[in-house]
Amino acid sequence: MNPQRPEYLRPALIAGAVAGLLSGLPFIGAGNCICCLWVVGGAAIAAKLLAAATPGLLKAGDGAVVGALTGIVAAVVDAVVSIPLRSFNLGLARRLLDKAVELGGEMPTGLDEIVSGSSVLSVGWFLLGLFISAAVFAIMGTLGGIIGVSLFGKKSLPPASSAPAPAAPLPPPPGPTNAA
Amino acid sequence: MPVTVDLRSVRRVWLVALGGAVVWLSAIFLAPWLAGRGAAGPARFIYAVFAPLCHQIPERCFVLNGHPLAVCGRCLGIYAGFAAGLIVYPLVRGFSRIALPPARLFLLLTLPMALDAAGGIFGAWKTPIGLRFATGFVWGPILPFYFVTGVVDFFRTRQERRDSQALEIAAPKK
Repeated sequence: MNPQRPEYLRPALIAGAVAGLLSGLPFIGAGNCICCLWVVGGAAIAAKLLAAATPGLLKAGDGAVVGALTGIVAAVVDAVVSIPLRSFNLGLARRLLDKAVELGGEMPTGLDEIVSGSSVLSVGWFLLGLFISAAVFAIMGTLGGIIGVSLFGKKSLPPASSAPAPAAPLPPPPGPTNAA
Repeated sequence: MPVTVDLRSVRRVWLVALGGAVVWLSAIFLAPWLAGRGAAGPARFIYAVFAPLCHQIPERCFVLNGHPLAVCGRCLGIYAGFAAGLIVYPLVRGFSRIALPPARLFLLLTLPMALDAAGGIFGAWKTPIGLRFATGFVWGPILPFYFVTGVVDFFRTRQERRDSQALEIAAPKK
């Protein structure tokens, strides 16, 4: 554990912005259909950035925080990016669903009305969608951040130099790392 | 390295996660059930909640009441696997210690799903819905071991930092 709280915001902003951008783009955004790939992956990258910027060992809890923040940033960026692309995305969804129906598939109830609906977005629906996305992305991001600590976190601290160190702090209590 | 922790805190996080997983899975089945009963509005809302997480392509979804579930077969496998992992969590790890799973195990369990998804994306093969479910179900059970560990550790670390700050404030200054 680090005696000081690591600096979560910067890695979360960087990774969240990239994950949100990828999530909001047509075609590429479909990557989130594989278990929130961009959000979980972005949160794992945020944990990697955090590990690189933090001198001490990261704990699973640090990954959870940076992952959750990354998910929230990604949801906001995704929502903002999606606004100008809404008409295009609706048209694309319409064509995909038409193709699915042609092939004998069935359209989920109400989806037809959604994709046929107006491309004008009400503020209420936008905020509701943003809230739901932020909550879901935060959960997925939490998972991604913890996995990121497991995959990319330092396993041990580098050996101390031979020069005498000035008044070193007490060793912190151990945190959960990879199980043996 | 496994860490010994307060039994109650792990149990509390585990119970909340289990409750969340049950609600999440129920919602997936609730959407087509509601649609089948003519409650289009609530069904549409649930489908919309899951839309950012899943493509919801009907032919890749299991069907209930004549309507597709709110997520595809693979996603259902992941969520069902997550719930299964939570159920076995106390037997495997217990409530008195937390530890992250080995990275190699995570990568090993990810491999079948990653191969299946990659093959589908690049058009190499088209797997049946049952196999998609199975690869997701193989991956899902490891996730709660990360989630519970991370959330318990978050609360534990926060408490430790608060205690440390309180000690600094209480300590007499020289």
